[in-house]
Amino acid sequence: MAKVFKSLLLGICDKTIMRLKNSSRKYEILQNHRVESSLSRQVKKNNAQLYKLLVATNTAEQIFDIKMYKAIKQYDLSAHWTQRAVNTKYANVCFSSSDNIDVLNTAKRLHAEQINEIAKKRAIYVEKWNQRKQAYLATHIDNQTVIDKSKQDFEQLLQNACGEIDAQFETKYAVAQDKIKVHQSITDRKLASALERKNKLLRNEFQPLSEDTVLSVKDLCMYFGGLHAVEKLSFDVKKGEIFGLIGPNGAGKTTVFNCITQFYKPTSGQLLFNDKQNQTIKLTDYAVHDIVLQGISRTFQNVEVIKEISVLENLLIAATRFYTSSILEHALHLPILRIEEKLIKDRALNLLELMGLSTYKDWYAYGLPYGILKKIEIARALMVQPKLIILDEPAAGLNDTETAELAKLIKRIRDEFNCTILLVEHDMSLVMSVCDRICAISFGKELATGTPKQIQADKSVQEAYLGVVEE
Amino acid sequence: MTVFDNLASTLLGSLPSISVLVLATLAVTLIFKTSYTTNFAQGVISAVGSYLVMELMLFYRVPMYIGILAGITAGILIGLFIDIVIFRNGRYVNAIGKQIITMGMVSLLVGVIPFVFKTAGLEAVYLMPMVALNKYVVLSKNIAIQINSLVYFGISAVIVTVVFLLLNLSKWGLGVRSTASNEQVAGMLGINTYVITAASWAIAGALGAVSATMYAGFNMMSNSLFMTTIQVNAFLACILGGFATFYGPVLGAVIIPLISALIGFTAIYIPTLSTWREVLVYVVLLLLILWKPQGLFGPRAVRKV
Amino acid sequence: MTSTQFKSRLLCDKTPLEKETESIDSIKRALKNPLSQYIIFGIILIALQALSSLGDELRITIIKVSFMSALGSTLIYSMVSIGFCLLLGYSGLASLGTAGFIGIGAYCAFFCLQEWNVPYIVAILFALAVSIVIGVLVGFISLRIEGIYLAIITLGLAEILRYALQAIRATININLKNIVLFGTKIDKTTVYYLIVIVLLILMWITSNMINSPTGRAMLAMKNSTSAAQAYGISLMKYRLLAFVLSTCYAALAGVMYMMYLRSVSTSMSTLFKLATSLNILGAVIIGGAKSIWGVLAGTFIMYGLSPMFLSDVKFLTENPTFITLFTGFLIILVVMFYPGGLAQLVQLGKIKISAFIKKAKEKKYGKSI
Repeated sequence: MAKVFKSLLLGICDKTIMRLKNSSRKYEILQNHRVESSLSRQVKKNNAQLYKLLVATNTAEQIFDIKMYKAIKQYDLSAHWTQRAVNTKYANVCFSSSDNIDVLNTAKRLHAEQINEIAKKRAIYVEKWNQRKQAYLATHIDNQTVIDKSKQDFEQLLQNACGEIDAQFETKYAVAQDKIKVHQSITDRKLASALERKNKLLRNEFQPLSEDTVLSVKDLCMYFGGLHAVEKLSFDVKKGEIFGLIGPNGAGKTTVFNCITQFYKPTSGQLLFNDKQNQTIKLTDYAVHDIVLQGISRTFQNVEVIKEISVLENLLIAATRFYTSSILEHALHLPILRIEEKLIKDRALNLLELMGLSTYKDWYAYGLPYGILKKIEIARALMVQPKLIILDEPAAGLNDTETAELAKLIKRIRDEFNCTILLVEHDMSLVMSVCDRICAISFGKELATGTPKQIQADKSVQEAYLGVVEE
Repeated sequence: MTVFDNLASTLLGSLPSISVLVLATLAVTLIFKTSYTTNFAQGVISAVGSYLVMELMLFYRVPMYIGILAGITAGILIGLFIDIVIFRNGRYVNAIGKQIITMGMVSLLVGVIPFVFKTAGLEAVYLMPMVALNKYVVLSKNIAIQINSLVYFGISAVIVTVVFLLLNLSKWGLGVRSTASNEQVAGMLGINTYVITAASWAIAGALGAVSATMYAGFNMMSNSLFMTTIQVNAFLACILGGFATFYGPVLGAVIIPLISALIGFTAIYIPTLSTWREVLVYVVLLLLILWKPQGLFGPRAVRKV
Repeated sequence: MTSTQFKSRLLCDKTPLEKETESIDSIKRALKNPLSQYIIFGIILIALQALSSLGDELRITIIKVSFMSALGSTLIYSMVSIGFCLLLGYSGLASLGTAGFIGIGAYCAFFCLQEWNVPYIVAILFALAVSIVIGVLVGFISLRIEGIYLAIITLGLAEILRYALQAIRATININLKNIVLFGTKIDKTTVYYLIVIVLLILMWITSNMINSPTGRAMLAMKNSTSAAQAYGISLMKYRLLAFVLSTCYAALAGVMYMMYLRSVSTSMSTLFKLATSLNILGAVIIGGAKSIWGVLAGTFIMYGLSPMFLSDVKFLTENPTFITLFTGFLIILVVMFYPGGLAQLVQLGKIKISAFIKKAKEKKYGKSI
């Protein structure tokens, strides 16, 4: 009973912490947006005037030229397309083994004729327009003084506008930052007290982890009815390391992952994690969908990319919990949503760029090759700014070059994103080349933990993989 | 009348419903097992069968058993039509798609029935007094049972036994069971899943026709959707018993009328209950299903991630 | 943020030519914005009614009364379909309880407006409150039972609602004449305007929802519950939301239905039965479960086509079930060959046309590299 009560209290604590964080972020975003939008309005207003003056600075001839340019453009365009067609044919002939130069030559001739024709038509058309221009210029005489004055006015206005923006920016930005600071200090105080409360709740239950440990699994047991999938498994994952979990098929590796991410509630055992605020928490206190907020993200063995939406949107899904706007704000499409959407989209685009997936951003995930889906999953895992990434068989279904690429990528992620990586893998070359430490398990029990070299030398691991060697 | 008498007569009164529902449920289960879909058209297919029987008997003076055979044939043909013509030719048909196609079949058949059958225009008719509506077998001083109910129960029991024997002993039964556990593997092992599925649809159609004909014997055929209640109950029976086994749904189909009868029995003493009888039945069912989503007789499943 | 960022925007580097094309673009963009599309749609709907009223005053038939009333009921069912589209197309939850949900709204309206004599806005709020409770209930059920089973359970739930409403009041005599709406006493025209406004608001809210993180979260939930949960999408929250929204839409439609009927004596069992749920499902499937316009078109085919345009065809008036047959046939065809519904057909058509234009251009100018 007390346990249930405690987890309830803990839940309330977490809700408060999240609400406070959200509110301070939301406040910041809104204040900044207010400054931006007021200045943008200013810019727009000035731009209208500037545009008017700019038109006035043009001579009648210039204005007419623009009209003429527009009218003649179509001829240039068609000539351009015809030329391009010749180039295509040329390229085709170059690349094809059959040397049908004749075809190319006839095409060239035909197209040259076409271009000539176009040029002729164009010349006639230009002539016509020139006549019109003469007539136009005869009626419209430029007033040089007016033009000069507009030029002067334009310069003046531009300078004024710049000055105004500078001044306004200084004051408004400063005011906004002050407001944000005040708001933040208030929420920070509340946050501190909430964290304190949470600490109090958690105290006595377990020893907090040391700074450099991220995840600690202790005596983890997971039974499905009579099946002991994981039995008394313990290991620690240090900060910034790549930790591998290996074992033969059915050893319970994925079950361990599912226990960590709370898809399964472990039968017994302790799962401790140092969350984003460096506070030690018990993962079993959280629901599946709250794990990601603590800083753990994962990929799946059988790629779970949402096929109905584009690659970019797949990344945005990962950020669902990082929007500060509520469902009501979504339903009414309030500005806060648009601002946030832009910020998060930028993040997602950056990540796609980093993964080399920019070209696929608007593609539907349906029908993309397996290697790309795997990359999308990793990008999606990075979307949530995780502290620990859990990769479930990242190399399954990839060929050798792709696997080598993946090894590089994993190391790069660790270095650039400052996170710890826990992975399950069958591909020994990947595990041995990437991992700092490895834990080998068999039938849910730990066999050995150590560096790749130690594991390779270990007798029990060899036995598990190759069978018992009779001597 | 003693309490026991009341209880006994209400329970015996549910016999016809049980016999009808068991057949309908068996049909739904067979189709679910082989095609992985719930057949929403089951009720209407059955209705077509019973309308045919009625048409033949009323307008062509055909003897009853031939009429019933014709009804069964119609059920079989419609079942085969759905499986062979529609499901096999669809380009993108998945489980949900099949479900929706059967819903489309409901609209289609509801539209077709008034075109084809003159009897559909008649309102509220009883079909086929098997023996006689008012003949009773007197069991004790206060308990009597309609002969019709006994006949129904007998027919139903025989059919269920035959289907179960077929399922467990015949080659088709083996095919159905293996298709039910994994269609692709069954196909690879040399079982012609097409034939198995088509046969299941045919048998389901036949079962439906029999059940509707029986149902029309003690209930009115008010319109072409008159089997809807039975169909809804059959679905609920399937979930109640659990789709995992074949006997589960059948037991579920026995349980539902019994629950209804029990509530009817309490309503004798608490009269206000009688207005809320159907509501209570469904609420009880819902609670039972929520308590055991895998069915009363089904195993628990673990989700794989 | 820096001030130079804004100053760089000051320099007017657009040529007058660009400015000219910009104004055309801005009109195009505005037309693509869903809100303006909906407003145009609403204006057309209101103009139809205004024309019909004008005809009444001038004693000529510009638009038939039967046409308008069929249009009104089509719009009412459209509300239900839009809610259902959110449920089926986005959350992947198949429900057959729709008829029951509409029934709730209808009964709430009946009791509020006729028995208790409260303003219509209170009736709407009351119906919403009741349907939220029911929606939450179904949402919780959907957490335990999924997929094909859920459709059946909701079917059972609809039966419960139907029998419960029947037990409360078997037949209802609706006679709503004294309700004040928009400052005038209720009549068919004002209710029609109310229906259009409510429908537009629902369309707008729905389109906002599906283009926001909420809609994406629902899609994620539909496609892969494990991925959704791993990325912080609470199944409970979004399933409840989907069910609450769809029941609310249905209940609103029920309220509108009662107000639109105004005077009739009927019972729950004839008003909303399984066929209603199936028809709504059919409408959503035919139209395309993920597109609001598609769903509207589907509802029109199911409910509007025959009473609005085909009421004069003799064959159809003699055989009223033919249209049921036809819709059944259509549903089967759509599921067999175009699972995306009419929306998918339109999309394919667009692609084909653009490909045709491209081909024509290539023919004229030659192929590009």
